[in-house]
Amino acid sequence: MKKIILVLLLTPLILYAQHSKLNLECKTCHSCDIPTKENPCLGECPREELIRINQKPEEAPRIIKIDRIKETNLYGPSIFDHYAHSDMSIMSGDCRICHHYNPPGNIISCSKCHSPQRKRIDISKPDLKAAYHRLCISCHREWSGEIECISCHKPAGMQEDLTLKSINKKSIHPEIKAPIKKVYNTNFTGGKLVTFYHEEHNKIFGFECSDCHKNESCVKCHATNKSALKQSPAILHSKCNKCHDTEDKKSCNLCHSNVEKPVFNHKQRTGFDISKFHSELKCSRCHVTKGKYTGLKKECKNCHGIWTTDNFDHKVTGLILDETHVEFECENCHTEPTYQERSCNNCHDDKSYPQNKPGKVVKR
Amino acid sequence: MSKQTRRNFIKTAAVAGSVIAGLPKKTDAAPKNILSEDRMGVLVDTTVCVGCRKCEWACKTAHNMPTTPLESYDNREVMKKMRRPDHTSLTVVNEYEFDDYPEFPIDVKVQCMHCDHPACVSACIVGAFSKEENGSVIWDSSKCIGCRYCMVACPFQIPSFEFHKAIQPEIKKCDFCFSRTKEGKLPACVEICPMEALTYGRRKDLIDIARRKIELYPDRYINHIYGETEVGGTAWLYLASRKFEDLQFPKLGNSPAPGVTEAIQHGVFAYFLPPIALYALLGGVMWINKNRKKSEEGEE
Ligand code: SF4
Ligand code: SF4
Ligand code: SF4
Repeated sequence: MKKIILVLLLTPLILYAQHSKLNLECKTCHSCDIPTKENPCLGECPREELIRINQKPEEAPRIIKIDRIKETNLYGPSIFDHYAHSDMSIMSGDCRICHHYNPPGNIISCSKCHSPQRKRIDISKPDLKAAYHRLCISCHREWSGEIECISCHKPAGMQEDLTLKSINKKSIHPEIKAPIKKVYNTNFTGGKLVTFYHEEHNKIFGFECSDCHKNESCVKCHATNKSALKQSPAILHSKCNKCHDTEDKKSCNLCHSNVEKPVFNHKQRTGFDISKFHSELKCSRCHVTKGKYTGLKKECKNCHGIWTTDNFDHKVTGLILDETHVEFECENCHTEPTYQERSCNNCHDDKSYPQNKPGKVVKR
Repeated sequence: MSKQTRRNFIKTAAVAGSVIAGLPKKTDAAPKNILSEDRMGVLVDTTVCVGCRKCEWACKTAHNMPTTPLESYDNREVMKKMRRPDHTSLTVVNEYEFDDYPEFPIDVKVQCMHCDHPACVSACIVGAFSKEENGSVIWDSSKCIGCRYCMVACPFQIPSFEFHKAIQPEIKKCDFCFSRTKEGKLPACVEICPMEALTYGRRKDLIDIARRKIELYPDRYINHIYGETEVGGTAWLYLASRKFEDLQFPKLGNSPAPGVTEAIQHGVFAYFLPPIALYALLGGVMWINKNRKKSEEGEE
């Protein structure tokens, strides 16, 4: 008995300990002062201030058979490919677009809050059938305009196909290939076309898909009627304005032009050629202040410090210096701070680069 | 109908109407017309409805009315035209598209609103219509004499008449599934709705729920519960994301039983010419009937 009392006393504390990690006010979820397990006095689901669930798609069941609702005999259960849906959720608001309210710990089933009975006392939140359907149908309708029951249910009495083989074939989302570039046709009179180098943004600028595609809906790609997805300039700009100043009227033509723009060229734009040694680097390697890409001097020592014969292995340039030249200071041959100049005149009157080389050319 | 005859018709109707409008308004005298505190209602959330029309099928099935199979309701062709509830379908779902959001049409289920102060009840000269304790407005076909006053009176143009039937044509309208709810079952449409766009509950509670929804999601709903106050309140209540006029809800005042002339002009009778003489006669019958009811009331 004592034990039970102890457990009862401690339960709120244990729960509090778990909850407190979430940095939440009790009153966000509970309406009374001392919630207990028996009477948690849960308030309205705070859909907008959701509690994060950090689960990977692989950690959840692959296939879920939804068969809790048995009141009607019109349709059979729905075989729900959880993996296919959760796999894509990273781009569409993660787990919480469906698991909109979840205390810490394991994901709780929808039926914990949503009654399987339509005729019930508490009608303030939808019943289980509606909770499912509102999530599924709203999205699928948006997607295809269709709301047929048979796209998810077999008519009652028909055998469900539960073999993973058949599910394997069609339901997992195919790998998404990011486009190399996209040309957007806008209404802006000062330059209709915006050439967006998508691959470059991924690779060089180092963005993850979900950095930009956070709250996408499936329709974004799968819409039957693309024109319906037209967004206002403000929304479109909001995707770019974290790095590009879209307010500054003078900078419109950085992206907008009447012809397709060539890919970003560091040498043309800034005078500093990065094609030879830095082409694989993410911008942030040199431009360390987030979102700021100006202000660096065109000098190697910005990042590399001062090179000397001790700390620089000339081999990386594709030329191993011979015994004589390896002793010289860099500046003896490279007279300016980007080391682009190669001059022999300091010592030799009759030699010049690249006819004469101060060592052996090797493959970089 | 030519302009001339229509104008004449309205003039005549207005005269008939003024006779009716002059009648005593209060008809709560009939013992059945109770306005219970706990009367039930349905909250229709048009932002949730997807226009699957399962409710239409369920309604017909529950009322033993002929219907095509359930699968045929997947065909959305019918929704290209606006429809009204009639003797073949006590409820219909209409779809409205708007240019600012073409991918998301708004679907609206239409049926009898089960008014708290039903004009049909007031209008019925033989007392066939009644407002029941559970909120339903139903009628007794054995009393009905086919005068169709209810059709004229209803501000929502709901009651319809089996004009095609020569023998024993009946008034038809949604009866809030009275025989089902009596047995403790849900209205058929409420039960089948996959989205629970239709929430069945005490009208009081539904209004609270609707208010809460508006408060929680001000971007989703306009701040108006249609039916909360319209014509003195209705059992069926609606939430929507845009002005109700855009969704062809009539703009009505808050006082019960609006003038009958107005209802006539709204065009129930656009389809046929009522025998005016009969109306005059029936108007008289109604007058006597009402007076009798009134004196009965006085005696109580
Ligand atoms: S069944 Fe529900 S979702 Fe379907 S049309 Fe009727 S009210 Fe709308
Ligand atoms: S909507 Fe019309 S038919 Fe229905 S209760 Fe009101 S007045 Fe009567
Ligand atoms: S309440 Fe009953 S009669 Fe009225 S529309 Fe629904 S199913 Fe039909």
